[in-house]
Formats: sequence, C-alpha cells, structure tokens
Amino acid sequence: MSARALVARAAGFAVAAFLIVGPLTSLAVWSLAERWTFPSAWPQRFGLRYWHRVATGDFLEPLRLGVLIAVIVTLVALAMAIPLGYALARLAFPGRAVVLLLFLLPQAFPQLPVFASATREFYRFGLAGTIPGVVLVHLVGGLVFAVWTMTAVFRSIAPELEEAAWNLGASTTRAFVGVALPLAVPGIVASAVLVFLYSLDEFTGTLLVGAPFVTTLPVYMYTASLGYELQIASVTALVLMAPGVVLLLVLERFLKSDYLVFFGQL
Amino acid sequence: MVLGAVFLWPLAVSVLASLTRDGALTLAHYETVWRLYRGDVLYTIGVAAAGTVLTFAAAIPACGWLRLRAFGPVEFLLKVPLFVPFVVVGHALRVALSPHAPGLAGSWAGIALALAWKHLGLAALLLLGAFRGVDESYLEAARDVGATGGRLVRDILVPMSGPALAVSGILIFSSMLASFSIPLMMSRGGGPQMLMIDVYYRYGQHGDFATASALGVVAYLLAMGAALVYARRLTA
Repeated sequence: MSARALVARAAGFAVAAFLIVGPLTSLAVWSLAERWTFPSAWPQRFGLRYWHRVATGDFLEPLRLGVLIAVIVTLVALAMAIPLGYALARLAFPGRAVVLLLFLLPQAFPQLPVFASATREFYRFGLAGTIPGVVLVHLVGGLVFAVWTMTAVFRSIAPELEEAAWNLGASTTRAFVGVALPLAVPGIVASAVLVFLYSLDEFTGTLLVGAPFVTTLPVYMYTASLGYELQIASVTALVLMAPGVVLLLVLERFLKSDYLVFFGQL
Repeated sequence: MVLGAVFLWPLAVSVLASLTRDGALTLAHYETVWRLYRGDVLYTIGVAAAGTVLTFAAAIPACGWLRLRAFGPVEFLLKVPLFVPFVVVGHALRVALSPHAPGLAGSWAGIALALAWKHLGLAALLLLGAFRGVDESYLEAARDVGATGGRLVRDILVPMSGPALAVSGILIFSSMLASFSIPLMMSRGGGPQMLMIDVYYRYGQHGDFATASALGVVAYLLAMGAALVYARRLTA
C-alpha cells in the first residue's frame, strides 16, 4: 500500500472515530464528572461516585426487571416465530401475503400513537402498569423482528435436505425437528440475542404502558435525565449501550445485513 | 393474535377516535390539529428532511470510499449507531453538545444532528449493500478513462444505486418523522415540537386522546411512503 493510501485510511478512520465515538465518549466523561458547572468546558472534579450508585437497589431493580421482561419476550417470540417463520419460508398457504403484511405494519407506521391507544385499551383489562402489559407491548416489535429473521434463516436452508429425509420415510414434523431445526440453530441464537436486546432497550412502549409501576433501565434513564441527574443518566446509558456494541464486535460476521436493517428501527 | 390485539386493534381504535365525538362523525379534532399544531407538522417535516440530508451527506462519501477501498475498522464504526438505542443517542448528544454549544442541543439543528447520527448505521448498511451491488466492470471502465475517487462515487456509484438510495431515503425520513425518544431526551420547554412529542403530551398531560389520535393519523399519512416501500418489497 502506498504512503498516500495509508494516510487516507488513517484520516478516514480519525474522522469516523471522532464523529461516531465522540458523542459516546462524552457519556463516559459525564459519568465521571462529580462537579461540572457551566461555562467550564471540562469537569472540575472527576470521580467514581456515580458509578457506585450502580451497585444500589434503585439501579439494580430496573436492570433485574428489564432482564426478566426481555427473557420472557425472547422465549415467547421465538416459540411463536420458529414455526411461523418455517411456514412462511416453506409452505404456500392461503393468506400468506396477509400474514407477511401484518408483520410489516408495525415496522412502517409510527408506533407511539398506537402504543398510546394500546395503553388506553390495557387500562380496561387491568394490564396497564403491569409486567404482562409491558411484555405484550414488547412482543409487537419482538415478534416482527423474530418472524422476519426466522423466515430468512429457513429460506437459507436448502429444501432438498428435508426432501431427502422425507424420501427416507420421515414425516414432515420429523424432518423439521431432525433436519431443518438443527441447521437453523445459529440463526435462532442470533435472532434470540437480537430480540433480547430489543426488549432490553425498548423505551416508548415501556414508558407508556409500564408507567408508573414498571421501570426498566431506559425509563430509569429518562427519569434521571428529567431530574437533571445527568451523571446517573450517563452511567445508565453506558450500561444500556454496552451489550449491543459487544455483540456487534463479537458477532459481526454472523449477523446478516437483513437482520440488522430491522434492528436499525429500535 | 398478539399483533392483532396489541397493534391492529389500538390502531383502529385511534383512527376511529380521531374521527368521532360522542359517537357522531366529526372532523373537529382535525380542526384542533390544524389550529394548534400545523406549525409543528411543518417543523417535524423540516427536521426530518434536514436529518435525512445530513445522514446522506455523511453516508454517501463514507460508503463510496469503503466501496472503493474496503477498510474493516471504519465499516465497523459506521455500524455502531445501529446498536445504540434511540434514548441513549438522545441523551448522549444532549450531554455532548450542551457544555460546548448550549443553545444547540434542544434546537432543530441539534435534534436533526442526533437523528442523523443514529440513522448513519442504517444508511451505511443500505448504501454499502447497494454500492457493492454495482458491478466492478463499470468502475474499471471509468478508471480507464481517468476517473478517480470522488468522480467514481458521484458519476457511477450514486446514479447506479438510484432506486436503493430513494428507498433508504424514504425509510430514514419516515423513521425520523416518527422519532420520539430523541426529541424527548433533547428538547426542553417552549418553541415548536416534534409531532410525537405533541402526541405524547396531548395524550398524557391533557388526557385528550381524540386530538392525540388525529395527530397520530397525520403521522401515519406522512409515513405512508415507508409503508408503500415495505409493501413493494413484499410483492417483489
């Protein structure tokens, strides 16, 4: 590589790093700023005081609750999406286009007005402000996401493999469980991780449906920032962001861009 | 089932609520929207348009460069915003801007900047896919007649990815129109507001579900472009 190309690469990297990492760095700076008053361009005193707060109950409780909700959402979404994704990928059944369209709508329309309306309906059934209510609202996004990734996963598995199993006398169910399902495991894991992250990071629906009793980390962060506790909000933001960035770092090769396009809607 | 109960049903309820008062059909709620919120509708379209332009202004040169010279680390950085939740982006840009440019954070430019930052990941993903779909032979032909870097991007990659660019633009614009967390985290107090913030306060603080729904329907109509794009992808 020529020296000029090397310089161009270094410059390109520097610009991208400044623009992308810059705002995230300021989260780190804020999380360490024990004292920072306007108009100083830099905190007057640094310290770990606000990170210690992470170990206390009012931070751990939303974290625990968020993880619990995310686990339930992931399990339910996959339990529904694996058979449905398989059917959408393999079978031509009446109403297939309608089902696909149904799974596109939440992606295409603004969610907030719908969730506001859902919250009102939830009040009638006693679901507003409860964990099942938040799980339901997370399932909207989670299911859309899981069904589309699972459909893509099963499409990528050659149907000939199952046909071979049928020829050897296996039933459709047996061919699915014995052949297609094991091959789909990496895709299922990727889908599960992404649905889990989606639920953990979901804010709009949780804020509307969960208020005032169900507080997950994104809502906790919003409340902190509303009270001008910017350091606490910054600590929370870093904790929320970490799993996604780690995932990108570890799994980049396995994450097909089809999956990621949907994730960009978070 | 779940989608029907938690998405379609509330969607129908809100459209109906926006059109009725005490059981009778009326456009009164839309008149309220026109009276109080027409400025905010224009403001929202403006911010989303500015954000979309900003996103492309950064993504087109970056992805063009990456198409011509693959470079993993920069590609990785560009995808980072995909995995940073909207709320975190809003807060990060607020605390990044406020100590250094106090007026900017809650202004239209600050919101557009934060939206552009967040959508850079999605734009990079879509544009890199489109640019990589352009056959190498076209680029070689252009190189043979002396074109380099910027010319290749402007005269070959961008025109040949036209449809993909249009689709990306519609998706990003609609997503920005419907954004709630970023303006919520960044804006404080007076001045024009993004549409979703209006919906939230109209519903949450005024308890006025009908007008909030009418605002929502305006947002659905503005996002129709994205719905059509998805529907076309379905039939393709």
